[in-house]
Amino acid sequence: MSRVELKDLRKNFGGLEVIKGVDLTVEPGEFCVFVGPSGCGKSTLLRMISGLEEQSSGTIEIGGRDVTRSEPSERGIAMVFQNYALYPHLSVRENIGFGLSLARTPKDEMRRKVETVAETLQLTDYLERKPKALSGGQRQRVAIGRAIVRDPEVFLFDEPLSNLDAALRSQMRIELTELHERLRATMIYVTHDQVEAMTMADKIVVLNGGRIEQVGTPMELYERPATPFVAGFIGSPRMNLFEGDLAREMGCEVYGIRPEHLEVSETEGRWTGRVRHVERLGADTILHLEVEALGPLLARVDGSRTFNPGQTVHATPNTDKEFRY
Amino acid sequence: MTRRGYIIGAISLLVAFVVFVIPFLFVAINAMKTAQDASSLDFSLPERWVFWENLVTTVQTRDYALLLAYWNSIVITVCAIALLVVFGAMVGFVIQRRPSRTSRVVYAFILAGLMIPPAVVPTIWVLQGINLFKTLNGMILIQVAYGLGFTVLLYRAFISTIPRELDEAAIIDGAKPWQIFFRVVLPLLKPVTLTIIVVQSITIFNDFTHPLYYLPGRENITVQLTLYNFQSQFVSQMNLLFMNILLITIPPLLVFIFFNRQIVAGMTSGAVKG
Repeated sequence: MSRVELKDLRKNFGGLEVIKGVDLTVEPGEFCVFVGPSGCGKSTLLRMISGLEEQSSGTIEIGGRDVTRSEPSERGIAMVFQNYALYPHLSVRENIGFGLSLARTPKDEMRRKVETVAETLQLTDYLERKPKALSGGQRQRVAIGRAIVRDPEVFLFDEPLSNLDAALRSQMRIELTELHERLRATMIYVTHDQVEAMTMADKIVVLNGGRIEQVGTPMELYERPATPFVAGFIGSPRMNLFEGDLAREMGCEVYGIRPEHLEVSETEGRWTGRVRHVERLGADTILHLEVEALGPLLARVDGSRTFNPGQTVHATPNTDKEFRY
Repeated sequence: MTRRGYIIGAISLLVAFVVFVIPFLFVAINAMKTAQDASSLDFSLPERWVFWENLVTTVQTRDYALLLAYWNSIVITVCAIALLVVFGAMVGFVIQRRPSRTSRVVYAFILAGLMIPPAVVPTIWVLQGINLFKTLNGMILIQVAYGLGFTVLLYRAFISTIPRELDEAAIIDGAKPWQIFFRVVLPLLKPVTLTIIVVQSITIFNDFTHPLYYLPGRENITVQLTLYNFQSQFVSQMNLLFMNILLITIPPLLVFIFFNRQIVAGMTSGAVKG
């Protein structure tokens, strides 16, 4: 359990600056999620913390120790990769114990550690199998086991769930959260999926174009997004954002309202529009409206109400929940 | 299968039989004939079967030259293959994983080694200069030099299919570069290594011209050069020559049969989402 501190971290690829000065503190035992669109530098930032990518300037401290110039294996980190990166020629036991065998750990101790980890992850029956004989979820657990057995100060996850199907992904989200509660280790998790970020994180770091947009708890980011980018990124379906006339009318540059904070009525309301498309999710229904002078508008309504494409409806924003930038 | 398929299959089998099996049968039959009988060089069955006598004579000729040749050829082949596999895989690994100006220059040299034909006389001059001419060591190095271009090319292409995350996972596990190579990458190169062993060992073992140029001397004889024991301008002993051919064909045949079954692909399946 260690604090991770990044100070003015920068990274250039050739002439292109991809990380433009990141200052961040991840508290001990925190589950911190880096989220952002592809190409925002979140994976690069994680790889810089791991030491796989060298920083152009700035410092990295893990547990109060400056590790900026240390080898990845000396930083007290473990990493889980997007495609698992299991050694295909080694059994699950050898995969988990690979780091220990490199460190010349005595055989008995290695066996004991590997089996303890396998038990935690319910992999005991698969210890002698090769990775190709495992399912996606089991492979992911082996990759996590390989990280746990190193007993690291900080766990790094690089989009670990993106190769799994939806059902398995939500199950693994819960397993990871439970794992975090059990180990109480500092974890840094990279994803482009804001659902993963919202459901798992203690702290979310929203990145955009190599800069931190906002840092906060999931609900802080949802309720008080600092920039239009964060407002549009956090929350599903995404927030309606408007520039131009409407925003000027509201006395701001960008005006935002979440789909769930719109009151939709058949009879009267502030904006009048036509229903273009109806997405029924069961509990809720997402309406895609085409509002004159505004353009497309998303609204979330109760699943019990019925709307048809082509119908004319009225939408009114909840004034407490408006965002002005 | 359709009728058309049968016909095409039958024709292919026939062609393969004519090209590969008939010459072998011709050699085998003539290896069992007497000298007189074999000199007519026809496809008739032997009048008298003298397989064992021919075998003993062939082996004993020139003070057991054939056995010495076997030994020399095996030493050259085994050492050259071992060096080729280790160096080829290492060079391929570095060139593929660490692109830089240096590695591009090295790669250009390797391609040049494939394209530019070897020159015999300067090579001999160099070998004499470093006292390796007429030695097995010199021959081994020459075979390595000739084979390295092809080997590196194959390894480089194959290594590019091994996900880089495996290297990175090993780095995080605390592996040094040489440990990444020997414990993670090299085991995954098994399919291509087997291919290289089969192709190169047969080439090197069956090499006739290079030992002829670079390895003169009675004690340096290699298997292909033993054919000269029975063939000269004035006297040729066809039955013994064919017996010799038969004997020196066996080792490459065994290598091929043994390894061909083991060339397995798909070793990397399971490394990434499969």
